[in-house]
Order: sequence, then structure tokens, then C-alpha cells
Amino acid sequence: MSFDRNPITNQRAQSRRAFVMRAGAVVGGLGLLVRRAGAQEQQASSTNGGEEMTSDSYKPVSRPPKPGATPSMSKVELETFERQLACPCPCTLDIYTCRTTDFSCGISPAVHGDIQRLVDGGYTATEIMEALTGTYGDFILNSPRKEGFSLAAWFAPFAAVAVGAVGIGAMLRSWRLNAKTADAARAARAAAQPANAPSVDATPEELARLEAALRENR
Amino acid sequence: MILVGELSLWIALLMAAWTTTVSFAGGMQGRPDLIKSGERAMYATFGFVLLASIGLWTALFTHDFSLKFVASFTSANLPKVYLFTAFWAGQEGSLLFWALIMTMYAAIAVFTNRNRNREMMPYVTGTLGVVALFFLMTMAFAENPFERLDWVPPDGRGMNPQLQNPGMAAHPPMLYLGYVGTAIPFAFAVGALVTRQLDAQWLGAVRRWALVSWFFLTIGITLGMWWAYVELGWAGYWAWDAVENSSFLPWLTVTAFLHSIMIQEKRGMLRKWNVTLVVLSFLLTILGTFITRSGVIESVHAFARSPIGNWFLGFLVVATVLTAYLVSTRLNDLQAKAELESMVSREAAFLYNNLVLVGICFATLWGTLFPILSEWVKGDKITVGPPFFNAVNGPLGLLLLALTGIGPLIAWRRASIANLQRQFTAPLVAGVVVFVTLFALGMRDVYALASYLLAGFVFGTIIQEFVKGVGARRRMYSEGFFAAFFRLIGRNRRRYGGYIVHFGVVVLFCAFAGLMFKRDVTATLKTGESVKATDAYGHEWVFTSQGISQDKQLNRFVTAVTFAVTRDGQNMGLLSSEKRQHVNSRNEPTFEPSTEVGILESPKQDVYLVFTGAVDRDTAAVHINFNPLVWWVWFGGIIMAFGGLIVMWPQATKGEREGGYVAQIPMGRDMEPVGAGA
Repeated sequence: MSFDRNPITNQRAQSRRAFVMRAGAVVGGLGLLVRRAGAQEQQASSTNGGEEMTSDSYKPVSRPPKPGATPSMSKVELETFERQLACPCPCTLDIYTCRTTDFSCGISPAVHGDIQRLVDGGYTATEIMEALTGTYGDFILNSPRKEGFSLAAWFAPFAAVAVGAVGIGAMLRSWRLNAKTADAARAARAAAQPANAPSVDATPEELARLEAALRENR
Repeated sequence: MILVGELSLWIALLMAAWTTTVSFAGGMQGRPDLIKSGERAMYATFGFVLLASIGLWTALFTHDFSLKFVASFTSANLPKVYLFTAFWAGQEGSLLFWALIMTMYAAIAVFTNRNRNREMMPYVTGTLGVVALFFLMTMAFAENPFERLDWVPPDGRGMNPQLQNPGMAAHPPMLYLGYVGTAIPFAFAVGALVTRQLDAQWLGAVRRWALVSWFFLTIGITLGMWWAYVELGWAGYWAWDAVENSSFLPWLTVTAFLHSIMIQEKRGMLRKWNVTLVVLSFLLTILGTFITRSGVIESVHAFARSPIGNWFLGFLVVATVLTAYLVSTRLNDLQAKAELESMVSREAAFLYNNLVLVGICFATLWGTLFPILSEWVKGDKITVGPPFFNAVNGPLGLLLLALTGIGPLIAWRRASIANLQRQFTAPLVAGVVVFVTLFALGMRDVYALASYLLAGFVFGTIIQEFVKGVGARRRMYSEGFFAAFFRLIGRNRRRYGGYIVHFGVVVLFCAFAGLMFKRDVTATLKTGESVKATDAYGHEWVFTSQGISQDKQLNRFVTAVTFAVTRDGQNMGLLSSEKRQHVNSRNEPTFEPSTEVGILESPKQDVYLVFTGAVDRDTAAVHINFNPLVWWVWFGGIIMAFGGLIVMWPQATKGEREGGYVAQIPMGRDMEPVGAGA
């Protein structure tokens, strides 16, 4: 073990020790607070006990077939229709893509079955869509409706860019005006100078300061 | 070693607390001893986090199932490479991985600035200490990777089969390297704001770190797309999933910053905006982490729902409030030193580029969070899926592509009509030629045509810039073409590396547009039966089932279907897709069956086979996709990363620069130095 005999570094070390004590007390206190908060949080989450959202559950949608019904959509039209619908499982895919891929999802094939039965029962795309949204709500639509509050989803991004463009336009305009004013001031100064005078881009005050500085140096 | 790791985590926590406290105190009191102590504590923090990480890796490799993390994400029969990657397969380990990268970056930043930026460094170190402290606290008090189970199970649960893919070995580390990289510019921004040293000095320190972050984010996102494509089986690579969006948001703002920083460097403008972008990039990574880890938004990629989300939300709020306060009280120090002279100038083009990049960022964030907003306002849960993001970001993306070409063509300060005519003619002709050719060939999709028109235009601008630069070098130095080409890039890495990145962007947009012509077919076939399909190029494909086979491999039972494939009567070989049932060391199923897709890959298109299920022992249901130009997505990502690497690479020595291209070009009124940064 070595001892520091230098009074300056010794004083620093003592000061640092005092600092450690103070900092330690603060950090310790904070740690206790955070630990308590963490414990409360964990308690809260365990009381909620893994409660799952209801959005990932299949809900049957059925209607009696229309009299003398024939299928209302071709296979291609049905695929296109199913691409407009979000699978209620957390895959974030549409019904068609989800049911034809890897995910071990039991929901998209079941929803497809319901849609297929409604198509075979003679229901139109609009009627099927109404039946589905009546059961699942707008959650089943793969993109927000272009009406009501959901219109804001579509409107806001373009509005934000437009506002940004207007802001940039206004800023550029004010900058250009400033530049023009500066150009005009420069032109006026140049006109006021004799023809053989050296052209200097400085205000009279700046020139006076420069002259004073030069005089001082001399 | 595991116990050492566990203890190291707690010591690292104390070290980070010490780093933070003494660095800020040292900066405020002007005490070099405290500042030095803070810097050393930062190195020590990294050292102890590294020890903790080694401890966790040891637990994973020794199958210590007494640890909850090891039992939850591995099994005794998991291949060794995935024992290594299991480190970031779950919440707790990924937090430790984040802390490891964070403290490593912080130690590098502190070391490389040991003789530079001394006034702001205490605050930089202190801020990095705060971020490290936060992550260490989340582990110590909420998601401890060393948490032990009350009993030791004989085997672990195993790793999610979708994570047992080479893409997942590389994608998360790359993404984290990019994500965490935004913390360093953020710390420098805080340091510069606190000390009011907001001139070019802090930008110099920040630029390279922002590039590092951008570089790794680009690689991470590209790898993520590749993983999604080969592993998830839906024949796409980007679903606008909340987690995908979370990685995209900071990439956009960092990209915007890397453009706008040039205006500050050259003209002293956009000082407030640059600070805002740096801060925003970091806050978006924290927001993204909150989205990924809180379970607030449903995602196939997300970690399990966890109370840790509240920690991130709290950190986000505090960081936002404090940085907003710092910026708002330093507005006078952030006044522009020059003003824009023309709306038709490169500065203005960069401003428009920033507007569109931030616009796409806002649209993506808005779409990601709108379901929460809607539920909060209306009480109804809604879905904001790919059709929304494609409809909103599609036009903005095309606008951005156009600006990618326009920006480099316009002179700094003010462009003249002559300048515009000279610069734009050839690229515009290139774009129109591409458009007319594709239209004549029968392409009618508006988005695809617009994409290829703009891609042709931007490609024309890049070629034009290279041709001019190489031509000038050949005239001046009598160099051969290749020597002139490579020296042009070598002497001016920032500008021409930037053009290479732009070329990567062009390639990506061409590839994205290719998906407009995607075709698919579903079929259920017995052995020997065939299905015919026609792709977007008009080729007729025949897929003949060779039957279903079953075997056991490594840690899984495999059921495979194989097809003999012909195109226009020509044999294209065999194509297989598998259903895999993963099992633990006692042959007990661990997860739901997963699918391995079969891909017949070529630059023209991918034939993508998905085995959706076996109807009986002889009959397979399959989904066959023809995905044009997907190969170019990976290639475009590689080009972008390569361009980024060129930009990042340290510039040639002073002597070389002086003898280079920059000083040799005579300047006209509407001409800029060819060697200036793009």
C-alpha cells in the first residue's frame, strides 16, 4: 500500500472522498426509490396477470344464404378483397397473405372460411365488409376509413409536409429579403465611394475600428 | 464466471452512476480530477458490462438452466451458433447487449476525445453515463438476465424457430450498433448545448458518429428485410410493422442530418435544425425501443409485453423535456451565420430533402401510433396496415428520389439558368428514355413508371457527375480511365461516396417498383401432379410435385415437399420447402411448426415456394410467388452500405489532398468546386 504525501493531491483526495460520500448517499437514495418503484410495478403487472387483448380472437360471422344464391366473387376478386382485411392475429398481415404463409395462425383460415361462405351465399363485397366490421369493428380493415376521425390518419402526414413547405417558403423569402437589403446597402456604399477607392465590404463603423486598430499597432 | 457476471452488472451500475455524477460535477466545478475520474469510470463501466456479458454467454454455452433467461430461450440441443445469438433473443439479454454496445461506444468516444473538445467532454461523458445508467438500471431492477428460477428444469424451452436463422445472427447486432450509435451524437449535442460551443467543433465530433450509426442502421435494416423475406414466408420484406418502423425512423432523421450538416459546414446555416435532428434521432431510438418492448403496439417482432415499457416512456419524457429546455435556452447561440440567397440552390434543395425525409418520418410515426390515438379518442381499436403506409409514403418517397437527383445538380448559393440547362439536360433525357422504353414495352402501372423515370433521371445525374470528374482528371493528369475513376473517389470520398449511396437508393427504388408486378398462385397437389403459372415477364412455369418426405435433422423433425420446376419447357431444377417441428433434447415439441421457404433466386425475379401444409401423406398445399427484382433490394442495401463506408473512411492525408482534384478546377460564377462535398 502506498501513501500520498503530497499535500495538494492529498487535499484533492480528501475532497474527492467527501464527494464520494455525498454522491454515494444521493445514488443510494435514488436506488432505493427506483427499487421500490420497480417492485410496485412488478406487483401491478402480476396482478394484471397476463391478461391478453381480445383483438386476437376469432369471432364467427355468418348469414343465411340468399335464395338461389350464386358466388358473388371470383377467386381473384376474393383474394383482392381479403387483402383489404387485417388478420386479427398479431402478424400485421392481411387475411389472404396470412392464411397462405408460414404463421401458425388459426384465425385467418377461419375468417377466410366465413368470407367464402358469405360469397357462396350471394353476399356482395359491401355486404360482407359490413358484416365483418359489424362483428370485429374497424380493426378488421387493413387501413383506416377515409371518414370521421380516421380521416386524420390520411390527412395529417400531407398536412405536416405542406405546413413544413410553407414554413420553409416563408423562411427562404425572409432570407432573400434580408439578402436583397444587404445587397442594396452594399451597392449604396459602393456608389458613395470615389471611383478609385478600394472596394471593401464593411460598414463605416467597422472601417473606423479597423483604422483605430491599425493606428494602435503603428 | 456466471456469478462474476452477475456481480459485474451491479458494479457496472455503480460505475455508471459514478461516471454520471463526477463528470457533470467535474464539468460544473471545473475540477480536472473529477473529469478524469469520470472518464476512467466510463472505461470501467464498459469493462464490467463486458464481464457481465461474458458471464451470460458462459451461462448460455454451459446450459445453466437455473437462469430464467437461459431456460427461456435455449435448449440443450440448440446448435452452438444459436447459443451465441440467444444472447439477444430475449428482453433481458438484448438489454445487456444494448448496454454492452452503448458502453463500448462511450469508451471509444471518451478515448478518442481525450485530447479534444475538453470543455464539453465532461458533459458528453456524463450524458453517456446517464444513458448507460438507465439501461443498467432496467436490468438490475426490472429485467435481470441473471434472474434465477426456483427450480432447475432438465431442459430449456428452446429458441423460437424463426430466430434460428443466420439473418438473426447478424441483423440485431447491426441494428443495435446503429441504434445505439445515435446516443453519441446526442451526448455531444448535449455537451455542446451546455457549454454553448455550438460552432463547427461539435459537428466535427458528431458527423463521423452519425455516419457510423447510419451505416449500421442501413446494414441492420437490409439484413432485417432479408431475414423477414427468407424466414417469415409471406413473400415480402417490409410489412410496415411497428418494429420495422422503429428502426426506419432514426434512419430517416440521421439521413436528414447527414445532408443538412453540409449546409452548416459550408454556410453556417441550419444550426438549430441540426441540433434538433441529432436530438430527435436519439429520442426516436428510445421511442422505438419503447414501442418494441412495451407491448403497446402489436407486432410479430416485438418482445413480450413487459413493465419495462414504462421505464422507457419515463426516460423518453425526461430526455425530451431536458433537451427541449437546453435547445430553447440556447437559441441565440444557434443563430445562422449566413442566409439563403436563392430558392434554386443546393442549400434550398437540401432543405427540401430534409422536409421530405422528416415528412416520411412523421408519416411513419403517425401511422404507427395512430391506432393508440384512435383507441384513446374513439375507444375503438383500428388497424393501420401496409396500404396506408404505401399510399402515404409512396408519393413522398418518389419526391425524395427526385430530390436525390436534383440536389447534386444545383450549384451552391445561387444557380443560374445556364447552370440548370447544362446540368439537367442529360439526366432528364436519361429519365425520359427509360420511361418511353418501358411504356413501349407495355408497362402501365403509374407508380412503377414514375419510379423508373425518376430512377433513370437520378442514375443519369450520378453518371454525369462521375463522367465530368473522371474527364477532368484525365485532362489534367493524363490518367487512364480506371486510375482517374478510383483517384476521383479516393481524393473526394465524401462526395463520390455519397453518389454511390444515391446509386444504392436508385437500385432500391427499382427493386421496390418491381413488386408491383408480383404474381402468385396457390395449389394443392398430389405427388406427380403439376400446376402451371405465368410470371410478369410472360414465362410459363410448371411445378410438378415430387412428393413429401420426412426426416430428423439437428433439433427438429422436417417434413419437406419438393417440386421439379420448368420455365418455358426448360428444366430449372428442384425446389423444396419445409415444415419444421422443433423439439428439445427429449424430443418434445417446443414451438408451433414453422415453414422454411424454397427460393429460386435470380436478379430478374425470385420464385418463392411456401409449403403451407400437408393435406395427407401424399398431398401438399403450396403457395408459389413470382417476386420480380427482389435480389436488387439486397444488392441496393449493400451498395448503400459500401457508399457509406467510403464516406466514413478517413480522408487522405493533407499532402495528398493538396495534390488532388479540388484545387485544380477553375471556378466560374455558377460553378462550385468539384471537390466540394456533395
